[in-house]
Amino acid sequence: MGVENPAEVAKFIIRSRIADPLFVYSYFSQLPDSNYSKLKYIISSSVTEACNNSVLLLGPRGCGKTAVLELVLEDLLKEHPDMISVVKLNGLLHSDNNCALKEIARQVCMEHQLQFSKMASFDENSKFLLSILRECGLAHKTIVFVLEEFDLFTEGKQRLLYSLLDAMQSVSSQAVVVGVSCRLDADQLLEKRVRSRFSHRKLLFLSSPGEDFQRLAEHILLLPMDSRLPNDFRASFNEKLLNILAGEEFKGVVDQLCYSDSTVSHLLRFLFCAVCHMDLSSGSLSIQNFKSALPSIQRQPKQEALKDCSVLQLYLLVCMKRLEVKEVELCNFNSIMKEYKSIPDSFQTCDNFARNVCLRAFEHLLQRGLVSFQDNRGQGQSTEFRPVKLLISWHELQQGLQSFPSCPVLLHKLMAREG
Amino acid sequence: MAETQQMKKFKTPSKGTPKAKHPISIDHHIAPQTPQSATPSAINLRRSHRLTAAFPEHRPAISSFNTHQSAAKTRKIFENPPLVLPTEISITPASPPPVESRKKRKFHEKSAEKSKDSRNVKYKHAADRKVKKKVYYKKVVYDGGEFSAGHDVYVKRRSDASSDDEDPEVEECRVCFKPAGRRVLIECDDCLNGFHLKCLKPPLKAVPDGDWVCCYCVARKNGEVMEFPEPQAGKKRARTAREKLLSSDLWAARIESLWKEVDGTYWFRARWYIIPEETAVGRQPHNLRRELYRTNDFADVEMESIIRHCFVMSPREFANAADGGDDVFLCEYEYEVQWHSFKRIAEIDNNENDGERVVDNDADWNSCDEFDSGSDFDSEEEAAYEDKKRNRLSQLSSLRPVAANSRKGQIFGLQKIGAKKIPENLRSRKQTDLEKAKSTLLLATLPKSLPCRDREMIEITTFIKGAICDEQCLGRCLYVHGVPGTGKTMSVLAVMRNLKSEVDAGSIRPYCFVEINGLKLASPENIYSVIYEGLTGHRVGWKKALNLLNARFSDENKCRKDTRPCILLIDELDLLVTRNQAVLYNILDWPTRPNSKLIVIGIANTMDLPEKLLPRISSRMGIQRLCFGPYNFQQLQEIISSRLKGIDAFEKVAIEFASRKVAAVSGDARRALEICRRAAEFLQNRKVMAGMADVEAAIKEMFQAPHIQLAMAVSSFCANNGETFPGYDTLLKVGCKLGECRLLLCESGTRHKLQKLQLNYPNDDVTFALKDSKELPWLAKYI
Repeated sequence: MGVENPAEVAKFIIRSRIADPLFVYSYFSQLPDSNYSKLKYIISSSVTEACNNSVLLLGPRGCGKTAVLELVLEDLLKEHPDMISVVKLNGLLHSDNNCALKEIARQVCMEHQLQFSKMASFDENSKFLLSILRECGLAHKTIVFVLEEFDLFTEGKQRLLYSLLDAMQSVSSQAVVVGVSCRLDADQLLEKRVRSRFSHRKLLFLSSPGEDFQRLAEHILLLPMDSRLPNDFRASFNEKLLNILAGEEFKGVVDQLCYSDSTVSHLLRFLFCAVCHMDLSSGSLSIQNFKSALPSIQRQPKQEALKDCSVLQLYLLVCMKRLEVKEVELCNFNSIMKEYKSIPDSFQTCDNFARNVCLRAFEHLLQRGLVSFQDNRGQGQSTEFRPVKLLISWHELQQGLQSFPSCPVLLHKLMAREG
Repeated sequence: MAETQQMKKFKTPSKGTPKAKHPISIDHHIAPQTPQSATPSAINLRRSHRLTAAFPEHRPAISSFNTHQSAAKTRKIFENPPLVLPTEISITPASPPPVESRKKRKFHEKSAEKSKDSRNVKYKHAADRKVKKKVYYKKVVYDGGEFSAGHDVYVKRRSDASSDDEDPEVEECRVCFKPAGRRVLIECDDCLNGFHLKCLKPPLKAVPDGDWVCCYCVARKNGEVMEFPEPQAGKKRARTAREKLLSSDLWAARIESLWKEVDGTYWFRARWYIIPEETAVGRQPHNLRRELYRTNDFADVEMESIIRHCFVMSPREFANAADGGDDVFLCEYEYEVQWHSFKRIAEIDNNENDGERVVDNDADWNSCDEFDSGSDFDSEEEAAYEDKKRNRLSQLSSLRPVAANSRKGQIFGLQKIGAKKIPENLRSRKQTDLEKAKSTLLLATLPKSLPCRDREMIEITTFIKGAICDEQCLGRCLYVHGVPGTGKTMSVLAVMRNLKSEVDAGSIRPYCFVEINGLKLASPENIYSVIYEGLTGHRVGWKKALNLLNARFSDENKCRKDTRPCILLIDELDLLVTRNQAVLYNILDWPTRPNSKLIVIGIANTMDLPEKLLPRISSRMGIQRLCFGPYNFQQLQEIISSRLKGIDAFEKVAIEFASRKVAAVSGDARRALEICRRAAEFLQNRKVMAGMADVEAAIKEMFQAPHIQLAMAVSSFCANNGETFPGYDTLLKVGCKLGECRLLLCESGTRHKLQKLQLNYPNDDVTFALKDSKELPWLAKYI
């Protein structure tokens, strides 16, 4: 290893921080009235006072539900070592009752170094669950059941939820059920007898507004004191960064970012992009980095796909557009071809390709997802006869044509004339 | 540590006797535990090293033994040379069963005529026939004391003999060294010494309430030196048994079973208690002075080593035993000697196990004589049983690991689970009102009384009694229905508890009771095997179980052994409905057969379940019904306030508000309790009574639909007035995101432009949510 550039080290530190959810969300643990403190209170009251609780963590994806839960569990494990065991289930994997119970038994056995048999039946596993709950309750141990994708557990008879929640109604058990779901109406999905046993704690994870984001960015980006960076570098880096973060320009960028999606994970992705754009020679972040990161976060895939199309493909798209404007309900390749053939009649042009060339271009469009089949029926049919639909709007097509460098004038005319 | 532990290898005087060849059951090491053989494999030692170091093990012990009443026993130990041949170890399979209630035998015998000589002679030829001639007793009168299984006793330690010999039964005042006499002795809660009220400086008039600490301990805490008065010269201060126990000069044990050996000696199976200092973690700061732990360590001990009774109590009993004397101890936890872990002692299971069993066994036991062959047979059976059990345990402990979750009905390895240390915060016994309120409001807490369901409970009781009490025992069905949280299952179980106590009192016939929850069955058919297991204890497949049950409940089977009526409680009955409804039909058909003696109580939510079923089922089930209506607000109020009785944490209005709110929605008692508990949590930090505001906040939290809050935060993207157009793809992404939260209903994202969206909530909600949004005032115009 040669002499390390401090800027490179700083970049490394910041990137590894962004990738570490525990560090990012430790910011939320400092806030007094955050979901972190509420969740911690609920779980720790189960640990210390043997109150059995069941909680739902609700919120859109990327809001840090699981991350906050992990943080809480880690802190509690530090505070009360040997008193908490965590069982994690995921609705995508264990929505089947039998399989879920088996997984619970497996994880509990792992935790307590018991021998696990995968041959055990549903009955045996559910008895095992009950007795383990009892034993752990007697030993003052709390079992935390984490059910990710909680909404998927509500399919079917909900036996698993019922038996978990029912087991929690006995004095000797000590358990918490934490459901994590992005469906806000997850508790409405519960069957009534399950809902009655549920203790109806809901924690809503909302995306953080702009001001919060600025503090979060400071939390992540400011270089720490105890790093191996030279002191003056750190000071100048932090000073410049604070200036940028306080500036109006940055606020504009953040507003634009949050306008579409203000979840934490989105913001993190944005910061990661910005840090990657960091200029190593200058050794600090500039507002330009943030600005250039913005378009790379908010991309418009369909429009970008248009840029790579050939002229013939654009012709086909415009023909489909014209058919749509003429209110032709169903179109397939043949009708598009007919429209395409009609173009030379009205406009004198030499751009006229053979049918199989057009078919090839059409298939490319299908693969790109700019055009799709109307339905899944008739898969045996050849491509030419299946009805298709245009997947981009008139606006997008027009923008695409305008930004296309070598677009024939004729195409613009075709678009304008009927559109 | 290791060496000192190895030095200590016997627990009781009895270990030196031939009895030591009984392997100590749990950990399966069968080294002969004799005083002289220094076997290094001392695994289950009860002593930690610093205590054992205090006892000089190799001194000439005989000289140190006193010649008081225990002389005979102790001498015997040394007269029997500890020659235990390894072959003998394998011969003796018999050790008393851990289930003490199996043996019901009233037998009293004075043990005065026992002489050590005869005993020694008999030992020679007793070894091989011992199994045959062991006689178990329920109660034994020995040395003037009456001992029976379940009693707690002090047990002599061999090495303690030197310290003091008088073995005082009466505690003395620590200041004047006179026994209490008629005057009251007060006990210091710190040093546990007793004082006459008058001997104190300043003297006390009456025993103060609560904890009291003597002036000596107070002085010591303040850093001063204040010596206890020395006894007069020539007179040694007598230590009580309690003091000796707590300084580990005595053992305490619980008698699990009693028996007489073939040579006339009396033995008992001891379950040791352990003092906190002897555990792996040592004394923890929250340990009370009089606290003991029960271990899972058993040993067979001769009765002669018993000193006298002591009383080890559960915390509740201990709290009530204010003046129980000096021999009262507290035991709340069980200590696992192998894994050094603690576990609370479950009080419930003791009651469950005896109950019915004792009832059946009574008749058998009264009929057979004390010394006849019947008892021999039984002890053999016991021995076999014990053997099997030991095999199982040994398997478990060392040789082959047994899967914990897949043994039919039995679960292995649970002893590994336990707290390494008892958490301190749980033992602080002073709860605030609020904490008490929270814990009584827990759904898990079983209330002492069940208010508001008296009528229903009476109805259930009369139904069951009517069904049981006739000689005929006509089978009957009862269908109980009501919305969740109205106390259906709880009431039925409460009735069953009451009936059980009546059975114990002998006023009604014994019955057997099987409880099944439909949602906990893997499949509806499994109910047969569960019922069969509940009735007989054997596990079979469901098809076989169905045949067996059919045979059992059919009328030709009149001469079967078990004539008790059977009560079957099926919770969540609607889960048993299969396509052809055969399961329900079978279960409901059995009661109608003559001589079936089956009573079925079905519980479900829907009122019209019988009507939804096939007519041949509804005609069998729908006759007797009991409806649990939703609670109204007065009932809910009564339920909550009966739980909160004596706790000053909630305002009356607040309870009324909560109960009215719940009654208006569902009448679900669980919900009401949860709301109150949440309200109690809200004011955790403030030291006031729970008022309306807290209850309201709790209600709001529980009932408010989250989408409104979310909509406030997400604040709409759909219309963008005067702002830059974000691009179709971004819009699409937003749409998908909202769809994921189910704010919008939408198709999958690949449909792109063709994707259909629909608002999942009423328009009014959206208007309401966006009304106050400051950022987007223009949005309101569109709505």
